[in-house]
Amino acid sequence: MTLGLAAGLILGLAAAAFAFDFPALSGRVVDQAGVMTQASRNAVEAKSKDLEDKSGIQLVVATVKSLQGSDVETYANQLFRFWKLGEAKKNNGVLLLVAPVEHKVRIEVGYGLEGTLTDALSAVIIQSAILPRFKANDFSGGIERGVDGIISVLRGDAAEWQPKPKSPSNDSLGVTIFVILFILIIFVIIVFGIIGSRRSGRNAGRGGRTIFAPSGGYSSSDWGSSGSSSSGSSDSGFSGGGGSSGGGGASGSW
Amino acid sequence: MKSIVSRIAAVAVVVAVGLTVSACGYNTIPTLEEQAKARWSDVQNQYQRRADLIPNLVATVQGYAAQEKNVLTAVIEARAKATQIHIDPSQLTDPEKLKAFADAQNALTGALGRLLAVSESYPDLKSNANFLALQSQLEGTENRIAVARRDYIEAVRAYNTALRTFPTVLWAKTVFAGNKPMAEFTATEGSEKPPQVKF
Repeated sequence: MTLGLAAGLILGLAAAAFAFDFPALSGRVVDQAGVMTQASRNAVEAKSKDLEDKSGIQLVVATVKSLQGSDVETYANQLFRFWKLGEAKKNNGVLLLVAPVEHKVRIEVGYGLEGTLTDALSAVIIQSAILPRFKANDFSGGIERGVDGIISVLRGDAAEWQPKPKSPSNDSLGVTIFVILFILIIFVIIVFGIIGSRRSGRNAGRGGRTIFAPSGGYSSSDWGSSGSSSSGSSDSGFSGGGGSSGGGGASGSW
Repeated sequence: MKSIVSRIAAVAVVVAVGLTVSACGYNTIPTLEEQAKARWSDVQNQYQRRADLIPNLVATVQGYAAQEKNVLTAVIEARAKATQIHIDPSQLTDPEKLKAFADAQNALTGALGRLLAVSESYPDLKSNANFLALQSQLEGTENRIAVARRDYIEAVRAYNTALRTFPTVLWAKTVFAGNKPMAEFTATEGSEKPPQVKF
């Protein structure tokens, strides 16, 4: 019940926080401004999918028609949080945002990747890989080079690059088992209680009671659980995993 | 056994009361309060992170532009003042304290802006790799500060609203009568803009 209340509150908050009219997260490349070629869109999608399959990192490229009067930092951060890129527990998402009209570009990095894809490295990628091509109006080329740069930096971190089993499904399974066990234990207590009370005349000593077993400290503090555990197993239903960003990354303009 | 029945009854009552109470928003106020406090520590951490970058930045600039003594000293002094003010989460209800904190940090923002402005006229400094890295880190930190502040303001707004709206106001006036609204972190317009760095 509190959960519902809190969720309602958070939803209200979220609605208040996102004053922008964001494009929908239709895939790994959201080319709202229409500046990329089909070939390069496909190439970036494939690279991003490969990255997520290997490391769980969600890398999304977005080009927008307008920043809606905001600065690129604020817009990128809000869009990142709106799309919830990266896994909820790891916050391992990256957003490459391009605003061709405002001549702004930003790499927004989720909390969990700030240590790998640092502000300084993001700035280097923007300055050396992206901006020279944007200046020549080659958006496809700039974005592809930028994505290559981001992926190569992320690949440098060995721990992140290890193939991992999909964790979200395991997590939700664990929660389900926990809930079922919990209900069972309560049920058993009640049944034993009733039996115990019926036997009250007889010698049903204290031994017949079940004691609340401490159920191994499983903490289900998965605050992004309301969203999706579909961590990009197929591209048809691509969606954010519940990650967030605190403004890491770098911006540039041309 | 009677005792077992009465125990079950007691448990049932506790559970029932717990559910009713939580449905009425009893938990909302402490939850929001803790959230706002956590957001505040984010704000402070990010400011601390900026302060930690400054000695390195000053040292680098000094190597190329030692004659800009006034600007460098201003930054060092502003940093010293800003790092002296530390606000414990329990003091967040005091607008004066928050204002003092914001003023000190804004003074540091201004001093840093001047430092970056004068460094524009030193081509060797501008092309120094260390300086460039520090600049992008500083920019990133200023942006993180902006995000952390926005999150804090949102959290405080939610908390203050809960203290004044139904049904949580019932708890605010009774059980949590000691809870005061937290101060919003307002700053003069423009001071939250990170110093613009042009490459």
